[in-house]
Amino acid sequence: MKKKRMLALLVTLVMAVGLLVGCGAPKEEQDVGGGDTPDESGGAEAVTIWYYWETEGHQVALDKVIKDYNASQDKYEVTAKYVPFADFKKQLSIGASADELPDVAILDSPDHAAYVEMGIFEDLTGKFDVSNYYEGTVNSCTVDGKLYGVPFGANCLALYYNEDMLKAAECEVPSTWDELKTVAKALTKDNVTGLALCSVQNEEGTFNFTPWLWSTGATSYDIDNENGIRALTFIQDLVNEGVMSKECINWTQGDVMNQFISGNVAMMENGPWQIPTMQAEAPELNWKVTLLPKDSEYASVLGGENYAVIKGGNVEGALDFLTYSTSEAQVKYLMDKFGYISADKTIAEGQFEADSPYQPFVEELNYAMPRGPLADWPSVSDAISLAFNKVITGNATPEEAAAEAQATIDGIIK
Amino acid sequence: MVKRKKIFRYDNVGILFVLPAFLYMLVFVGYPIARNIILSFQDVDAGNLVRGAKNFVLFENYIGLFQDGVFRTSLLNTLCYTVLCLFFQFVIGFALALFFNQRFSFAKPIRGLLLIPWMIPITVTALMFRLLFATDIGVLNYILRSLHLIQENVEWLTTPGTALFALVFANVWIGIPFNMILISTGLTTIPKELYESASMDGANKAKTFWHITLPLLRPTIESVLILGFIYTFKVYDLVYVMTGGGPVNSTHMLSTYSYKLSFEMFKYSKGSAVANVLLVILLIVGVFYIRVTTKEEE
Amino acid sequence: MDGEKKLSRNKNVLLCVISVLFLCILLFPLYWALITSLKTEQEIFQIPPTFYPHELNLKSYAAQIEMGDFNMFRSFANSFIISVGAMVIAVLLAVPASYGIAKYRFKGRKVMLLSFLVTQMLPVSVLLTPMFIMFKNMHVYNTWWAAVLADATIGIPFSVLILKNYFASIPKDLEEAAYLDGCNRFTAFARILIPIAKPGVMVCAIFSFLYAWGDLAYGMTFILDQERRPITAGIFNFMGQYGTKWSYLTAFAVVTIIPVALIFIFMQKYIVSGMTSGAVKG
Repeated sequence: MKKKRMLALLVTLVMAVGLLVGCGAPKEEQDVGGGDTPDESGGAEAVTIWYYWETEGHQVALDKVIKDYNASQDKYEVTAKYVPFADFKKQLSIGASADELPDVAILDSPDHAAYVEMGIFEDLTGKFDVSNYYEGTVNSCTVDGKLYGVPFGANCLALYYNEDMLKAAECEVPSTWDELKTVAKALTKDNVTGLALCSVQNEEGTFNFTPWLWSTGATSYDIDNENGIRALTFIQDLVNEGVMSKECINWTQGDVMNQFISGNVAMMENGPWQIPTMQAEAPELNWKVTLLPKDSEYASVLGGENYAVIKGGNVEGALDFLTYSTSEAQVKYLMDKFGYISADKTIAEGQFEADSPYQPFVEELNYAMPRGPLADWPSVSDAISLAFNKVITGNATPEEAAAEAQATIDGIIK
Repeated sequence: MVKRKKIFRYDNVGILFVLPAFLYMLVFVGYPIARNIILSFQDVDAGNLVRGAKNFVLFENYIGLFQDGVFRTSLLNTLCYTVLCLFFQFVIGFALALFFNQRFSFAKPIRGLLLIPWMIPITVTALMFRLLFATDIGVLNYILRSLHLIQENVEWLTTPGTALFALVFANVWIGIPFNMILISTGLTTIPKELYESASMDGANKAKTFWHITLPLLRPTIESVLILGFIYTFKVYDLVYVMTGGGPVNSTHMLSTYSYKLSFEMFKYSKGSAVANVLLVILLIVGVFYIRVTTKEEE
Repeated sequence: MDGEKKLSRNKNVLLCVISVLFLCILLFPLYWALITSLKTEQEIFQIPPTFYPHELNLKSYAAQIEMGDFNMFRSFANSFIISVGAMVIAVLLAVPASYGIAKYRFKGRKVMLLSFLVTQMLPVSVLLTPMFIMFKNMHVYNTWWAAVLADATIGIPFSVLILKNYFASIPKDLEEAAYLDGCNRFTAFARILIPIAKPGVMVCAIFSFLYAWGDLAYGMTFILDQERRPITAGIFNFMGQYGTKWSYLTAFAVVTIIPVALIFIFMQKYIVSGMTSGAVKG
């Protein structure tokens, strides 16, 4: 009898647990990220987008385009979700494992190839005309000759300088590394350091370092040579001579911009998307943009995002929206609000006035090269960012850092 | 007349008390553990996460790890970090618990207020310490310079050795209230009569501490240490926000490195292998704990 | 008689002063965050640093209010709901479990105890994907439930390990007496033991609550909609948005700390006395 009672109790308890666990499964379906279930509003199909722009201006602009699109037709209802940049790759990875993805992702261009390799993106070859786009932007979403995305917009890095500070120090605008170093030294005084560039040990840092690397003639995959070492030495000298703060390894591009507009930094490497914020927050500040100074050749790095359509999602709807959002009028609006340059050459060339602060970026774009495209780019990028972090912190000589990075990269590329 | 009832026994029925919690954990964590073990023996990366064959590669991931410099650093970091944190937060927490166990007027309210660090989300704590440890504007450097303990600003978060120290410092700050309150509550389980009779026997404070407080508090101390060990060992948020594993990978912990491998570099199997190393170390500590505690009971 | 030795007046004052000193040292980082939030960016970068804001700046607080689709109050409510949910589950499951582990000698007891330890040993990086898949299959992805269920897995093992010591310290004769009074094991547990272990239960409840309150990874990963996310996710977004704009960041930190601190200060009489009184009567 005792045994029976025990059994009964056991069953009850198991059921209780089951209930507790099971009660997580409510009858009403929640409207979740990757839903292609019809939306309640008038039977339109839902299309979801994930993006990572944290800047409010970007979010508002994207929302406006989506709103207009939703109003322009009644077949699809697009909604966009903000997923923080630091979380974006993780969320996409997990979503891929769990088959819970949006219909469209707007992602950082160097990561594009890895997700193509993962097999979650739809092949868009022949569905969009990208023949007039900058080559680098198209390359970033092309794998094995097939197009797996559409460039959203392009940006690149250039040199911002504080005009008043330069004038006060009676300096010319630098165009070579030597000039840059001389000017930076002249500008460094009191609490002001001459130059800042984001050197965080991640993709963002790699993004900011590659122009210096490439300017010497080195490539991302071939660092352990005279050129690669020269680039690392240059950065190390800037830090050692005190014209660039070591804290740069903790500064994001946003931080660098904040330091610049607070007057703590006289020159910075940064992108055009900072311009709207800078104009809003420091309207008095007198700054200009110029090409990044060169070693042996001008170089910059291509940045920006690509649209990608997720396989197995609402592909039709996604394509319909992308056709709308990549039309000239929408691209013009978005690029303007984002401070980006259109990936479409024709639009880009007529995008800004001659004296616009954006114009140098359009010129710089001619020298901008993409990172990758390579499925293993994250690992290569990691090796590169480790190398310049090591020389900045004085943890290794440029020669050691270059050799170490090369060994890692060789292991990846094979 | 007196109906004789069976004397209360602790028998196998006890399992019923434990089962619900056990099953809950089994459901929610058992599956991840199993999946993680399998994953660590496979070769999953971006190429075959979703489609394509997942091959078993046996111990390749593990062997690869031990040739990986960052892994070795993270292993060493995790151990150093855990031991240092545990030592300081336990000693300080214990001392504070004893101190506030005295019946002075402010004892209770101030002990309560001391818990506030524990209530702040770790993300926020990490931010605050980033500010305190900043090189030029950091107040810590300023205080140390004013006290003439240092001549020049220390680059806390941008120098490998000191960055780890900063992390330990921040973690100890969070951990002190944790240890203090658990030991304080443990102290309440010690019957006051024991102290009274001890003081009647003329025992001094040190003696009562060694002969009454410590032995009776032993289970609490063991629990606090094992829990502290586990939570410190798998630290994630704090490191992620404060240093992100940098500078130059010098403050990566097993958990942050595992995260980086999995979600930044798409090396899922390698990331799982790192996590499993962490798991095995904790398992050894756990088994050791169980053996010590159950021996006492028997 | 109380059995407590009254402290002499002088000693009382001395101890009070020392304790206030401790408090000041330990809470200094909070003070620093507070004054930083009230400084202008220029003053923050001033060397040497100022120990109180020379020029009061409330702009950073105003920015909290006008922030896109992020709603501070809703995020708080979300955090609160998630934390309470996780706390309830943890306490309901952990209290009986710890009693069973502490008192009964059944087969597999050691294994169960070990498994409670093991289940909290996995780092968050490898828990996220499998948990995500489970929650999706349970149709709780993107709801509070996902975070509640996940957060409870932190609180349960913790509570079991802490509480088992309480139950172990309760003498057996109390239960025997209850048994003689006609209780069975379960009613004896509910009526006699739980009240005695109250301080322990309080601690576990509070810790389970706080673990969930401080959680970032689960809330971020399992809930996608901003409207359902906890406050920690908000902080994380904020960091992405403002980098190291310290006045904004610290203002956000202060705003997130204040309600918790307030709840705590008002409840502290109950919490602290709940945790530390009600000792076992020998």
